[in-house]
Amino acid sequence: MTKDDVLAALGTVYDPELDEPITALKFVASCEVADDGAVSVRLRLPTPQCAPNFAFLMAADARDAVRTVPGVGAVSVVLEDHYTGNEINAAVAGDGGFGDAFPGETEGELDALRELFRRKALVARQGRLLETVADPVSARLGDLTGPDAVRCRELRSELGIDASDEAPAFVRGDGTPVPAPEIARFARMASLTAISLEANGGVCRSLLSVRYGIEEVAA
Amino acid sequence: MYEKDGEKYFVVDSHSHFWDASPENWVKGAEEYAKGWIECFHAYQGLGPAETHWSLEKFQKYTAEDFEKDVFDEGHVDVAIFQPTYLKEWYTNGFNTAEQDSVMAARNPDKSIVNGRFDPRDGDPGLRQLEEDHAKYGHKGVKLYTAEWNSGSRGYKLSDDIAQPYFEKCIELGISNIHVHKGPTIWPLDKDAFDVADVDKVATRYQELNFIVEHVGLPRIEDFCFMATQERNVYAGLAVVIGGLMHARPRFFAKVMGELLFWVGEDKMLFGADYAIWEPKWQVEGLVDWDFPDDTFSDYPRLGVEGKKKILGLNAAKLYGIDVPAEFRLDDEEPAAREAAQLVES
Repeated sequence: MTKDDVLAALGTVYDPELDEPITALKFVASCEVADDGAVSVRLRLPTPQCAPNFAFLMAADARDAVRTVPGVGAVSVVLEDHYTGNEINAAVAGDGGFGDAFPGETEGELDALRELFRRKALVARQGRLLETVADPVSARLGDLTGPDAVRCRELRSELGIDASDEAPAFVRGDGTPVPAPEIARFARMASLTAISLEANGGVCRSLLSVRYGIEEVAA
Repeated sequence: MYEKDGEKYFVVDSHSHFWDASPENWVKGAEEYAKGWIECFHAYQGLGPAETHWSLEKFQKYTAEDFEKDVFDEGHVDVAIFQPTYLKEWYTNGFNTAEQDSVMAARNPDKSIVNGRFDPRDGDPGLRQLEEDHAKYGHKGVKLYTAEWNSGSRGYKLSDDIAQPYFEKCIELGISNIHVHKGPTIWPLDKDAFDVADVDKVATRYQELNFIVEHVGLPRIEDFCFMATQERNVYAGLAVVIGGLMHARPRFFAKVMGELLFWVGEDKMLFGADYAIWEPKWQVEGLVDWDFPDDTFSDYPRLGVEGKKKILGLNAAKLYGIDVPAEFRLDDEEPAAREAAQLVES
């Protein structure tokens, strides 16, 4: 097992709000692999005030992803410089849930939040794919190609939406196909959602580069 | 005022601050939060042009003279609307209170509007405080920060039952402009704190009030836009959009402006510099000069001189009943004060 294996696993962890891998966003501050297979990952975010729920999801997902790497020993994931870092790090280290990190301040775990943002991400990705097909209503998922299409399939699988080649290419956030009369409005809403995610990603990249004095990475 | 190519712009900065985040004002035991908050703001300043960046020390606490020079003398601002952010759990005297703002306003009474605040978790004493503040400062608006911490609670929603008496009190007192700023925490913490559904609910319920969603609901521009199309009394506060994107990410800025012009429209967008995060000068001048970068943006509505005049000042002047001198008005426009007065009477 090498550091590259660990980084590859971390590359499957997405910022749920931005729908981008935490590695591409440069949220992985450091990653060390010891001789005995113990892995130590440190995460950093664009501001100390980033939302605790999304921060927790990324830290917990990173821990879980690294644990799947064959040959890995003890896994430590620590979120740096965050105003609720102590709470989050303690829960992540102890295999606790979000409710354990913030007792009394939650009603449930973060599944509903994660699902909501997967649906947003799916709509946004489709917004970019709409202009690649001649007839969006008759298009099938198998007709779509490229990174956005790959990610759409992942998101649809995670959401329990048909992700086979023969499935309709364009679906609303709830998984139902977009009917012909609604395509124009769907395109407008999908484009807006995509721009919102991109703008947020842009702000996050800028703030991270200012905060840590690192060279900005292109979106 | 700002003049360019023979056009005169009356500038209302709808989002301004006079804060004290110096270490002397940090609450003991909460230093990391107080420090983190202002350093986060300081990082945002980094998104503006390099020649407008300040040292962290100056950024933590600037003087009244700094404000007057940057906002009124060089920043083209005719009227500044001060938006308070108390954060008394982190800052001993508050981060930016109406009291601090009133010091600036006393020096520049014709150029200043001091907004208030409330926190529905303060119950009846909070309602009385709002009355007292209104009597003292003549508030026409309040700024609400839903992610503010208060005695163990990390936030609230505008639709919470405890908030409703406060909106009714605002209507009674004639505080008609509710500026809403979403932040990263809210109870319960597992929900999306930036969700604007609660604004939608109260905007429908209180037709007498205007709801200005600050930072256009960032990071939920899409939710904000869908909601704003359905609510007559919901407005877009452009603070952070211009300051954070126009210089640092001009193509994103163009896309976001295009979407806002399409969904919200130039009649409901309000300029705000968010001083001292960013100085108004480069933002006002940049917006007046701004156009879509190329024809890949041809799907979006255009923004002309008239629209820029509305966004930079005339829209906010209407909401606040500011009397705009004739030379700055649009040809077909009623004087703002008269129109606002009619609204109150009807």
